[in-house]
Amino acid sequence: MDRTYRVMVIDDEESARNLMKAAFDWESLGMEVVGEAASGIEAINTIDEIKPDIAFVDISMPFMDGIEFTKLATERYPNLIIIIMTAIDQFEYARKCVSLPVFDYMLKPVVRTEVTEVLERAGNKLAGMDDFWEAIADKDGATEGDNPTESIKKYVKENFTDPKLNLAFIAQNFGFSASYLSRKFKADTGKNFVEYLTDIRMTKAIGFARSGYKMYQTASAVGIPDPNYFGRCFKKYTGKKYSEYGL
Amino acid sequence: MFSKIWKSLFTSKKRLSLSTGIKNVMVGTMLVVTASFLLSTYVVTINERKDFSKRESESVIATLSNNIVSEIDKYKSLSRLIMTDDSILTFLRSDVSRVDISMINDARYGIMDILNVTEGVDTVMIFREDMIMATTNRFSYKYDSDVLNGEEWKKDIYAGMGKAVISINSNGIAHKLEHKPVVTIGRAIYDIDSQKRTGILLMNISGTAFSRLLDNLNYSDICIMGEDGSFIAGNSEYVDLFEDEFLSTETTHKNVRVNKKLTLLSGARIENTPIVVMRVSPYGMAGIPHRMIYILVFLLFVIILLTACIGFYIRLNITEPIFELSNSMEKNRQCGKLDKIEVPVPNTELEMLENDYNSMIDHVNELIGKLVEKEKNLQKAEMRVLQEQIKPHFLYNSIDTIGYMAFDAGAKNVHEALETLGSFYRNFLSKGEKNIPLSREIWIVKDYLSIQKLRYGDILEDEYDISEEATSYIVPKLILQPLVENCIYHGIRPKGEKGTISIKAEVIDEKLHLSVKDTGVGMTQEQIEKIMTTQKGEEEDIDSESFGLWGTIERIRYYTGVEDVVSISSEIGEYTEIEFTIPNLSYPAGE
Repeated sequence: MDRTYRVMVIDDEESARNLMKAAFDWESLGMEVVGEAASGIEAINTIDEIKPDIAFVDISMPFMDGIEFTKLATERYPNLIIIIMTAIDQFEYARKCVSLPVFDYMLKPVVRTEVTEVLERAGNKLAGMDDFWEAIADKDGATEGDNPTESIKKYVKENFTDPKLNLAFIAQNFGFSASYLSRKFKADTGKNFVEYLTDIRMTKAIGFARSGYKMYQTASAVGIPDPNYFGRCFKKYTGKKYSEYGL
Repeated sequence: MFSKIWKSLFTSKKRLSLSTGIKNVMVGTMLVVTASFLLSTYVVTINERKDFSKRESESVIATLSNNIVSEIDKYKSLSRLIMTDDSILTFLRSDVSRVDISMINDARYGIMDILNVTEGVDTVMIFREDMIMATTNRFSYKYDSDVLNGEEWKKDIYAGMGKAVISINSNGIAHKLEHKPVVTIGRAIYDIDSQKRTGILLMNISGTAFSRLLDNLNYSDICIMGEDGSFIAGNSEYVDLFEDEFLSTETTHKNVRVNKKLTLLSGARIENTPIVVMRVSPYGMAGIPHRMIYILVFLLFVIILLTACIGFYIRLNITEPIFELSNSMEKNRQCGKLDKIEVPVPNTELEMLENDYNSMIDHVNELIGKLVEKEKNLQKAEMRVLQEQIKPHFLYNSIDTIGYMAFDAGAKNVHEALETLGSFYRNFLSKGEKNIPLSREIWIVKDYLSIQKLRYGDILEDEYDISEEATSYIVPKLILQPLVENCIYHGIRPKGEKGTISIKAEVIDEKLHLSVKDTGVGMTQEQIEKIMTTQKGEEEDIDSESFGLWGTIERIRYYTGVEDVVSISSEIGEYTEIEFTIPNLSYPAGE
């Protein structure tokens, strides 16, 4: 075991996320919880920076549920180990999505011995593999003639309302590796991709806020249809709550 | 082939109804009867006509034969008269040296004297044994001296021993000029005294004698011929139709075509003569057996009438009652109630069928009753299993134990949370009751919301405005909880801001007014209308977000038996308010 594996918990209940973080002896598993998200929307916006090897995904989440997120994630991060968490009454729904290449399904409430067993198997699988986030970075070496940054900026300006937009998506669409694109973008614009995207969205959101739109409406309009996550982004960006802004 | 048709008629793959079958059989019977009638009539008519013609021909030929025989008999006696004439006797008895022309002439005159009294005799020839001949009308004949000098032609005459022997055309020794036909009577002459043969007499009767006979009898379709096929008298057109078959004395019949018309040809030889009589008669209307045909037509009518009557009878007594029976069985099936049927039927067999059906209905009802009973028992058993599975006591006790452990460890908030959870489940299960006082439902909601607050943090506040009168009002269990759940998941959470849920209950005019209001994202007019108007059975049209709300509305409609129990008002981005009006039901419809 030459590195500590990175774990991300995606669940809409804070207590559930906290339980996941606290209930396991991550260190002895050779793992570390490096990030969490309260919705599929938030996960899409943050996963490129968190760079997890393993993701726990709850099925029942508002705005974008676990199934939808898993579909997206298996496309964009084919090597990501996804463990689905589901309450008994949604197990059938989850089973319908069994065609998705997920690592395992786990029933809630959490039983630690079961989860530990699954994590050990995941650890064994990862031991035979390179860190795919790094592997992508090694592969780049791209020296395209045209500078893609401008066209990416243009694309983002036109499509920022798409809630599924993120670095991995852009990289796939423009034919680069994510880590190369990230470095290149920062070098060209002085901002990293997420900062750039947030910038555009928040600038727009401030305008909506001034016009008196409700927060959930603005959130949806700028491509972050989870108003809770949007609210946090907005406060972080402007230093003020959305509700205070319009006044 | 017939068996094939038969088979296909009765075992055809496409199954026919009885009434159609009967119709087919009736029409078939009529067709067969009519066809066989026509065929038999035709055959009978043809045969009858033929027999008639045959009989007619036979009688004509017999009559004519008799006439000819008596005619010939007349000439026979005439010939005997000639034989006994003195001049002839002299001619025959005289020694050859004494015979001279004058003696022959005497003989000739003697003959002619006798012949004067009659017509029809063309010539009489008398030969002495030495072949000296006395004859009348000598020069209208041409003699064949070879035959005449031979012995052959005399043989049959001698064999007659003096009796008349009939032959044709002078027995071959001579023929009349222009080959006019004659019938010849030949006799050997014996002397009366010495009984010695003295000569031969030939008497030729001309054909015209027979023609006259035919004329007298008005026969135009007759031809009289010699046995060698030579023409004697009558219709000469028929000469070519002669066949050897007609040489029999029995009448023989044949079908021949004369002038392209089928006709009956009959012929027979007259006994003891070489004369053949042929008759040609066209088949006419005369032979048709009219009376017989009338009888057959009458029978045909009777049979057709009978068939129709039988068909009508079958329809009236079998198919129609079967239709009625079937209709009432079908009605029985459609209305879903398996009642006995009461249809008046005209005969005992159908009554038997009806009784059998009714007893089957009894049996089926009995079976259904048993099945329902069994199903009820099964459900009870399943309920017990379910209740066993829930094991509320085990759950409550465990919650209590863990609560105490938390309390003991100083985790006061855990203790409180477990207490709330226990309270929630106790009210939620309510010992399996369907209807509970509103106060208990309010407790369910309060506990539910406090647990949700623990889960999702400080996202909502709840307010209650319940009138004293309303608390004891009996309502269906879980009337509010699903609405409140709806408020959280589809109202407040999507808004991302802290919200308020207000629950109000009051009694106005003996009706409970219950309202749940949240300050969430609100509902569009379309969503509201969809929920209000969707009927049971169309619920798949509703999206999953609204399903809980719709289901609760349906339950209250069912409970109250009233459609108009709910009103929804909303403003997008501001609030949603759902208000129920529940009448006070002493005997709730849901029980």
